[in-house]
Amino acid sequence: MTESTVTLGRFFAAAREGRLTAIRCGGCGALAVPPKELCPECGARRWEPVPLSGEGTIASFTVIRVAPRGHADEAPYAIAAVRLREGVSLLGRVVDVPLDSLAIGMPVRFRPIVVKDRPAIGFGPRQP
Amino acid sequence: MRRVAVIGVGVTKFGRHERTSAELFAEAAADALADAEMPASRVQALYYGNVVGGETEKQLHTGPQAASVLGIPTVPTTRFETACASSHAAFRHAVMEVASGASDVVLVGGAERVLNVPTTDSTEYFAYASDASWEQTLGLTFPGVFALVARAHMHKHGTTEEQMAAVAVKNHRHGVLNPKAQFRKEITLETVLSSPKVADPLKLYDCCPFSDGGAALVLASEDVARTARRPIWVLASAAASDWMLLGDKRDLSRVPATERAAAAAYRQAGIGPQDVDVVELHDCFTIAEIVATEGLGLFEPGAGGIAAEKGWTSLGGKIPVNPSGGLKAKGHPIGATGAAQICEVVTQLRGEAGARQVEGARRGLTHTLGGNTATVLVSLFGRD
Repeated sequence: MTESTVTLGRFFAAAREGRLTAIRCGGCGALAVPPKELCPECGARRWEPVPLSGEGTIASFTVIRVAPRGHADEAPYAIAAVRLREGVSLLGRVVDVPLDSLAIGMPVRFRPIVVKDRPAIGFGPRQP
Repeated sequence: MRRVAVIGVGVTKFGRHERTSAELFAEAAADALADAEMPASRVQALYYGNVVGGETEKQLHTGPQAASVLGIPTVPTTRFETACASSHAAFRHAVMEVASGASDVVLVGGAERVLNVPTTDSTEYFAYASDASWEQTLGLTFPGVFALVARAHMHKHGTTEEQMAAVAVKNHRHGVLNPKAQFRKEITLETVLSSPKVADPLKLYDCCPFSDGGAALVLASEDVARTARRPIWVLASAAASDWMLLGDKRDLSRVPATERAAAAAYRQAGIGPQDVDVVELHDCFTIAEIVATEGLGLFEPGAGGIAAEKGWTSLGGKIPVNPSGGLKAKGHPIGATGAAQICEVVTQLRGEAGARQVEGARRGLTHTLGGNTATVLVSLFGRD
């Protein structure tokens, strides 16, 4: 067995320090969000870590107003699906953007955040 | 493979109950056996759906518990968990057990109890069906998942909040006609549009309720079914999965698992969407019904909102969708939902649906979606 090049633990440890990491397939070149053992495109088991720019645009978004018990004190908060420049997408909290100005296509940049003591993906505003 | 039929159905009233999920299932299952005129002693297996029993009832091992409370403690029993599609997944596997010749009579069902805990707790437990590391940490909820789908659909196709609201109005109108429905009250577009926001653009009345309830059905091989009074044949039962992470889905305006499961089911049955007379589909949120009608091939991509607005999916419309009131009005006890949808379509194809009967329905479809759109089951049914 070979250990996946980027485990969830390593991904979020790096994300906490401001670095986003994807994995690229050594077989076909497909880019993916870790962790994955086999390439969903070609089935190969050779991944290399690839740094991501963190720059992207909002593909869809919502404002959560009725939150789960563990996040009730944080509502309302925005969550967006962000398409990154490199072609992969991540879900994240959108911070420092007025909730009523959120829009599909809005440029955003990755920002490490901590939610309830756990590292998480955040996005802040970016000049296009 | 042998032909398989549904020969008995049973559903509890959906809503708030002061009984355990096992008791709710047992009531539905006893009703289904009575409906099938089948003694419990002939049941050879139980396929069971239950989702958050571990959280709301501090109860795992719910399969044998349900069988014991029903009074058939010694049959092989397995609990299925595919989030909100659990009892439809149980159904598909039970069909394979009967079709293979392994068993002649099998019981399928599910139950859920959630109204015994506060809404913030049930919202959290349901969110466990999204990814713990990537999505739960963000505070993503299930209304949030479908809000992302709704925004993408609105952006791509021009779907409006009014069109989504039309789904809720229609399903509430149907629910009035269903004695087992949780809500039996008509609402207006204004009721939906002025209701409190839950996850923009979804409002309270775009969302199905939390519900307690149980549902069950009896499956039989062709030989056994020929002796039953009114068998309804299983023409197909197909499942499809998709990426767990929403971020890994390329186009949030679509549910590819619905498209794949539907294609597989139509292929198994040798029919197409134009051959279906009645549909029970997974309207956990109003946008979910719109996207499902497109994914099932009932309408072109982007036309689901227009179909809702024009009344094409109403009783009396081109293709009646959710005559039971759907998850929106009938209620959504998540472990029971897939089985309950099948019970409704069987009732429709028997011509026994009373005031909500789709006249002359010969073929029906059920569609159940699990969690963050990563699980979908589609089954097709027909009468002789």
